[in-house]
Amino acid sequence: MSEIDQSMRKIQGIYKVASNEKLCPKFYRLCIDAQPIAKKVLPGQFIHIRTKDGFEPFFRRPFSVYRAKKHVEVFYEVVGPGTKIMSHMAKGDDIDVLGPLGTPFTFPPKGTKQVVMVAGGIGIAPFLMLSDVLCRERATALRGAELILLYGGRTRGHVYPMKEFKENGCQVHVATDDGSVGTKGRVSELFPKIHADRKTTFLYTCGPAPMMASVQAFAKKHGLHGEAACEEVMACALGACLGCSIKTTKGYKTVCCDGPVFDLHEVIFNH
Amino acid sequence: MNISVTIGSATFKNPVTVASGTFGHTEKYYDLEEVKQLGALTPKTVTLKAREGNPPPRIVETPSGMLNAIGIENPGADGFIRTKLPALKKIGIPLIISILGHTDNEFELLTEKFNAAGGVSALELNLSCPNLGKAVLVAQDPLATHRVVKAVKKISRYPVIAKLAPNVTDITEIAKAAEEAGADGVSLVNTFSAMVIDVKKRASVLGNVTGGLSGPAIRPMAVHMVYAAAKKIKIPIIAMGGIMAAEDALQFLIAGATMVAVGTANFINPRAPLDVLEGIKAYMRKNKIKDIKEIIGSLRN
Repeated sequence: MSEIDQSMRKIQGIYKVASNEKLCPKFYRLCIDAQPIAKKVLPGQFIHIRTKDGFEPFFRRPFSVYRAKKHVEVFYEVVGPGTKIMSHMAKGDDIDVLGPLGTPFTFPPKGTKQVVMVAGGIGIAPFLMLSDVLCRERATALRGAELILLYGGRTRGHVYPMKEFKENGCQVHVATDDGSVGTKGRVSELFPKIHADRKTTFLYTCGPAPMMASVQAFAKKHGLHGEAACEEVMACALGACLGCSIKTTKGYKTVCCDGPVFDLHEVIFNH
Repeated sequence: MNISVTIGSATFKNPVTVASGTFGHTEKYYDLEEVKQLGALTPKTVTLKAREGNPPPRIVETPSGMLNAIGIENPGADGFIRTKLPALKKIGIPLIISILGHTDNEFELLTEKFNAAGGVSALELNLSCPNLGKAVLVAQDPLATHRVVKAVKKISRYPVIAKLAPNVTDITEIAKAAEEAGADGVSLVNTFSAMVIDVKKRASVLGNVTGGLSGPAIRPMAVHMVYAAAKKIKIPIIAMGGIMAAEDALQFLIAGATMVAVGTANFINPRAPLDVLEGIKAYMRKNKIKDIKEIIGSLRN
């Protein structure tokens, strides 16, 4: 592990893969020995990965940091050529990483009594680290607020064991499209678990756009505040190319620099 | 070793710059001491009025390249001069400012604004953005190219460089038109018009439907265009088109380019412009070349 000497960017490094494992039929976890990133990264931020030299695939790939303890962890699903190559990486392989990048989640406002994370599929990725921080602050800054995770997946194999979230003191509720685990249906079936008090409930969401739109609609109806972690195809991830812009109520914003975390009510999901 | 180059009255300490639209947020992520090593910086194209850009998705990965259809999102000339130019000037290396007018008059107004702002080394006229929904680009018409370059040249206090489109039958004709109108240099090439279709949706992937292809995929075509243009014109060429490493840049220099711009590579390897510069120097040392001019246009066959 070494940061590139006199790197042009302050944030680029070549690191070693510490481990790479399949956690369940659908999802993998990659651990990178990247202390400089592990020390700096905040929940909601991401890293931008290049797995090998050469230009296939052409872009780097952005991933939320799943956990940052000894290693920087990435939770991912194999969906295309980039993640396929990633799934074949092994301990000791070099990996070129930019990060940490982007805006983090903000801490729930004072007076929050219920923190609700709503995740769909691989959208669970930024929430374990968030729950690590919330768990650490629960007795103090959070004054014992409830931590709730609502998770929606397609079927049993798409549901990652929720052990770590439970260890962090989260109440975990799961919905699957086919009902093979938890409630049958979309994650919105679980919204009745939310206390929905405008002064004491705070939402975080990450997942497919239609799911986040449903969270936004629910929040709007009940006057709740929250944040959404968004995703878009990225090239540079440094705010230079303006390729990852999404529509917001304040015009186009880059997911890489203005986000990935936005005010829940600022994002326009139906583009 | 002399690696300095000149375009009109502007001198650059080395021939490496960045392509417009590929380099930003300098202060946030870069080590400025390193950025200072580049021959020049070329920020993203500025238009007279602010533009919000095209609807997403704006980019898509392709074999050895990418399409973009950003749509020249920028704060407009006044916004740029107020909010971005001061920090860019502070870096202390030459600035090549890329401007795009929707009419001849807008090009003139932009030129006047940057004349007044000062601290610029050259103006690059973007005559060739493929993502603005225009039926014909200025750089697809030798007469229009001549007209715009002449109008800007008449009032600009800086050297004027015309950035040309590869989407033409014969780029040398357009380059010649720019030269005859008094351009101090030409930039070759902007992106190639292109599209990718999602067959499941039977829809173009990009929000703008079409985009511009860049990256290594276009490099051999760009090298050929620089080679062809260099034979026909005497003014210097800034070459761009898929330069990922020093060897790519050297191809363009040997083909006849005076400067090279690293573009899409910035998105993959943020160190690319510096790697290119170091690699050119290493090549010169290895081949005992004392002056970069010995490389420029040195093709042996």
